[in-house]
Amino acid sequence: MKHRKSFFPMRKEFDFGQAVVEANRCLLCHDAPCSQGCPADTRPAEFIRKLRFKNITGAIRTIKENNILGGACGVLCPTHRLCEKACSARMVSEGRPEGADRPIQIGKIQRCLIEYTWQTGFKVFPKPAPRPEKVAVVGSGPAGLGCAAELAKDGYRVTVFESRPEPGGVLRYGVVAYRFDDKFLKKELQDIKGLGVRFRCNTPIDAQTGVDWLFEQGFGAVFLGPGLWGATSLVPSGKKIGGVFSSVDYLSALRDGRFDQMAKKVEGKDVAVIGGGSVAMDCVGSAVRLGARDVYLVYRRSFTQMLAEPDERVDAQEAGVHFLLLNQPVGYVSDGRKHVKGVRLVRTRLGKEDASGRRSPVPVKGSEWTLPARVVIEAIGNVAPADSPRWYPGVQVDGHRRVRIHPETGATSRKGVFAGGDIVRGPGLVVQAVQDGKAAARAIKEYLREVKQEGRS
Amino acid sequence: MKGPVDLSVTFCGIAFKNPFLLSSSPVSNSAEMVERAFQAGWSGVVFKTLNSDRLPITHPSPRMHCIHYGNSKEIAVQNVEQISDRPLKDNLLECLYLKKHYPDHPIVASIMGFFEDEWVYLAKAAEDNGADMLELNFSCPHMCIEGAGHKVGQAFHLLERFTEAVKNHVSIPVMAKMTPNITDITEPALYAKKGGADAISAINTVRGISSVGLDDWVPRPNVFGKGAISGTSGPAVKPIGLNFIASMAKCETLGLPLSGIGGIETWTDALEYILLGAGTVQVTTGIMHYGYRIVEDMIEGLSDYMASRGVPSVSDLVGKALPNLYETEAFALDRQGIVQYDMNKCVGCGQCYIVCRDAGGQALEWDRRKRRPRLVEEKCLSCMLCSFVCPIPDLISFKEMPREWKRRETAVKDPSLTAEMKYEPFKKEGPDECIT
Repeated sequence: MKHRKSFFPMRKEFDFGQAVVEANRCLLCHDAPCSQGCPADTRPAEFIRKLRFKNITGAIRTIKENNILGGACGVLCPTHRLCEKACSARMVSEGRPEGADRPIQIGKIQRCLIEYTWQTGFKVFPKPAPRPEKVAVVGSGPAGLGCAAELAKDGYRVTVFESRPEPGGVLRYGVVAYRFDDKFLKKELQDIKGLGVRFRCNTPIDAQTGVDWLFEQGFGAVFLGPGLWGATSLVPSGKKIGGVFSSVDYLSALRDGRFDQMAKKVEGKDVAVIGGGSVAMDCVGSAVRLGARDVYLVYRRSFTQMLAEPDERVDAQEAGVHFLLLNQPVGYVSDGRKHVKGVRLVRTRLGKEDASGRRSPVPVKGSEWTLPARVVIEAIGNVAPADSPRWYPGVQVDGHRRVRIHPETGATSRKGVFAGGDIVRGPGLVVQAVQDGKAAARAIKEYLREVKQEGRS
Repeated sequence: MKGPVDLSVTFCGIAFKNPFLLSSSPVSNSAEMVERAFQAGWSGVVFKTLNSDRLPITHPSPRMHCIHYGNSKEIAVQNVEQISDRPLKDNLLECLYLKKHYPDHPIVASIMGFFEDEWVYLAKAAEDNGADMLELNFSCPHMCIEGAGHKVGQAFHLLERFTEAVKNHVSIPVMAKMTPNITDITEPALYAKKGGADAISAINTVRGISSVGLDDWVPRPNVFGKGAISGTSGPAVKPIGLNFIASMAKCETLGLPLSGIGGIETWTDALEYILLGAGTVQVTTGIMHYGYRIVEDMIEGLSDYMASRGVPSVSDLVGKALPNLYETEAFALDRQGIVQYDMNKCVGCGQCYIVCRDAGGQALEWDRRKRRPRLVEEKCLSCMLCSFVCPIPDLISFKEMPREWKRRETAVKDPSLTAEMKYEPFKKEGPDECIT
């Protein structure tokens, strides 16, 4: 299919020479602010310095030891508001000797170094001495992988349970391939498999099996990182309208073998995407690539209030997406065959600040109108599936079915069960999820040590 | 992979955890500083040159200057700093402190006297207060009193005498630090050996002038209206340091352990010194630029290099490039090559064309419409200048040509001038070598 070309492979960034040139621009700050800006403690100041001093293997080691998904984060992180935001090179303004008013492009250097390990076959981790303790990780997304790798590095026997056919979670099924593709993911997963982590795909830990089953299998501790794969919808529950997809479903389709099928549905059609976050941007961008006639982004607030990153917003506009701002969807119009043919919208204006600190949209009376659309993608929030609390009995959840944890250890209310990633914090960044997994892994080690000691005494 | 490699070295019978030492300079001025350097990973120190308090030492102000080149900062540092200005008692206390708290980090005390008794006095004081080894500073380029600094390094009989005097009074190993401000370093090194030196370190700073003020006409650093020829250090002097280490390592009659100094910032710099015969290396300017932290990358980088090549010990690397170091007359001139271009990578900047035309063999033609160079192979001199300016790594490389290939001779601009030329071929027989 012709549209596949625009999805694969993902865009190339720095080659090694470019990364070295960029590293040479680094000011090598004392107490470097970039390193303080990384949620997963990937230590950009350290790996850039190492690259600068030709210690390339050391640079790679710094990244991978601290962030097992260093490659993925190098690609996907909104670095402009994390490490690069803090970059001192950014502060050196006109008239100063360096003239460097751009931050060092840390994400691109990081990605390049990880790709370099795959080109050279450099092995970061020595083979760990095996330990007897078994840990189960539920979900193979960034949180689960972060946890699994951190444990496996110390020789723990880790098995990752994944409900889908391939590991990776959101990296595999929730991001468009032109931003992050299977090939890249496979290589990064290989680094984790190399540590001895086992993956059991097509194995959901759900209401039938549940964490009890895992404990019965002899796992000493369980980490929950299932992510958020349920979707909020404007379609009343129990009803179904053809042509209306959740972003979860739509984006998964583009990654799980239904690509051509979905492409056929979108090509030549008018597509409306509802929402203003990064996921919505993946939806509009991919719809354009699939050959949609017109792609509308429907958002009830203003441009500056969108949660999508600034570069994503600009990319979407440059791709030709029509931004319908200050328009709130109120329902769908269907044709005679229960297929959507339009979105009912009401215009809004901004009123008082709401709980999120942003001015809230207020509908303008009598301004309702219908946007014709044959495909609608709802990107208005991922949630935990309705029955998810039954997967892990004894684990406390909040009103949104998000798992409650101890903020430092990731421990849930159930002994031996830890959690992290989106199921805890709500939709977040890959790098935050990795950190959650890492922190929980450390707590799991401590927990298992205590259990062992109790067993002895 | 951090494999089972061992960076430790034994130098003059003294064990160092790795071959990376602070050299005698501002970076080794106090125990507080050296302590932090040890914590960062440096294996030992050559402590800032001790003086006997006989003559007061006052450093000029400002002490240093530097050379930037394009976007590269500090490719060389220029300094007029003297030997330690601290009282000998203080320096000895510092040595005692380091010895007490860091017994596994050897202290090499650098000393400098003006006459035999002073050298001996300083040597004994250092030995009695924790020094594991001595470095005789025969090379400070701006201590210009006759009988001291690089003047001694140039007066070989003095160098031998002072070395001998020190050796007669101490039992710890003695290393002589050489000045590069001479023609052949093996000469003074052999004098030091005759005096009993156990090792040679080189190089101290190269006498130079980093720049001259264009408004005030004062060479830099401008010490209240006066400049001086003083010591240049840093990456710019590395080729000179490598030359002197290699020359001494090649000299079979010398046969002493060598400590390499000059422009070392990374593990690759250090490794080059080691491959040319250095058993340890010393660093100052790299630290002046980046701090003690650079040793972390020297340690990790060299360890990974050794692990990847299966080299278990640093001593297995010492001097390994020397068998490949010849005089230029040993080159096989019947083998010739040219450059080759990977044009898929070319961005069309044309720098190659400029340098080939103005400094090479005029072997490139320029396609103005396509903005691409075209190589005329038989004109290429294989000077490689184009590859130095090319912004794309690996676009331009060297390839050997078949033996029957011939380079085209440079064309004469106007052969019609032959009639006006006054020319007689040189016909006298003579030796193949220069007669001195």
